[in-house]
Amino acid sequence: MHLIGTELEDFCVQSYHAGAFEEVTKDSVLGHWSVFFFYPADFTFVCPTELGDLADYYDDFKEAGCEIYSVSEDTHFVHKAWADASETIRRISYPMLADPAGKLARFFGVLVEEEGQALRGTFILNPEGKIRAYEIHDMGIGRNAEELLRKVQAAQFVEEHGDQVCPAKWKPGEDTLMPSLDLVGLL
Amino acid sequence: MGDYMIDLKEISSECSLLNEKLCQDIEGIIKRIQKPVTIKAVLDPTQDKSMELASFLKRFCEIPAGQPINLELYSIEELSKKTEADAISADLKLNTQYLPVMGLYTEDGFSNVSFHGIPGGKEINAFILAIYNLAGAGQELSDSTRKKIQKLKNPVNVKICVSLGCHHCSGLVTACQRIAMLNPLIEAEMIDANLYPDLVENYQIKRVPFMIVNDRDTYTGPRSIEDLVVLFKNSR
Repeated sequence: MHLIGTELEDFCVQSYHAGAFEEVTKDSVLGHWSVFFFYPADFTFVCPTELGDLADYYDDFKEAGCEIYSVSEDTHFVHKAWADASETIRRISYPMLADPAGKLARFFGVLVEEEGQALRGTFILNPEGKIRAYEIHDMGIGRNAEELLRKVQAAQFVEEHGDQVCPAKWKPGEDTLMPSLDLVGLL
Repeated sequence: MGDYMIDLKEISSECSLLNEKLCQDIEGIIKRIQKPVTIKAVLDPTQDKSMELASFLKRFCEIPAGQPINLELYSIEELSKKTEADAISADLKLNTQYLPVMGLYTEDGFSNVSFHGIPGGKEINAFILAIYNLAGAGQELSDSTRKKIQKLKNPVNVKICVSLGCHHCSGLVTACQRIAMLNPLIEAEMIDANLYPDLVENYQIKRVPFMIVNDRDTYTGPRSIEDLVVLFKNSR
């Protein structure tokens, strides 16, 4: 079963955002594009690398009208402690959601119940709160913020223009493609 | 004109893009053309893609058609170094900024339809349909749409940037070129954007089809002939 088109359910969680604690609900994420970015736990190694990468591209996401929500199964107090302890985490300016009860992780299908941790799942939601793209990695496999930004922009483009365009992957010097004659119904 | 033309005898008609089966399929269509067509191309003989286009066209023009399909190849080097060549360039009316380029002509002159690059992949469909629409019975078009096209009063140059693997692109090329054939104020250039990185960079082309109208306004995605007529009507 896939999650494309699934609408976010109601939720209410605490977050650590710009040095303060804030409540984030379903209403908070409607009306703009969103990325839910799950990671296993605070104070781990790959996570700050990924989250720092995301922080580096945060202005680009905001320019694209997209908010980032990082999510782990830690509490918002642990998020703050991590930010206090790590320079990389301190420069994050997107909301870091706390999901200790596992509600969000369970909804998105990334909760590993026996460990109480989330897989590295990334979900792109449209302004109606519907999932338009996602990827789920096993614990140790990192993600790429630049590629995520490209996917957000592609999802926004398709939402606006439909899917009747081809993404162009320019490869200078490439051989000419073999002709593919198909004029059935056109003559 | 002879001095500026490349001797066809020097061009190989061996072209891996046009195999026997494909040539037979194309023959079935171009046998239906009713008046002679001339394909004129401007090439840079030092450039691989130019010479690939030359072989493609030479092989293509050997396929039996209902009427002759003639071929004239010009060297950009010759055209640019002789001032008297200006008259020939003016006669060709081709945009030589993006080479190689080829245009379709009938006894009435330039059709306002050109292709930059080699019409491989899905663009073979646009190329064949261009010849069929120009010199054959042509695809069906309602009288009201035909009249709307002929009534367009503003000069429009449209460049349709494509990738050869794009299945949405050739339809837009055909629609634009159909309009260009019916109204002398409209020019339609197909551009295989992959060959022109500066163009891709200048317009930040990330998706195709990508249409550039009058070198200014840009549009992404396919459009019907009817939509294009409205768009061109409002273009300045």
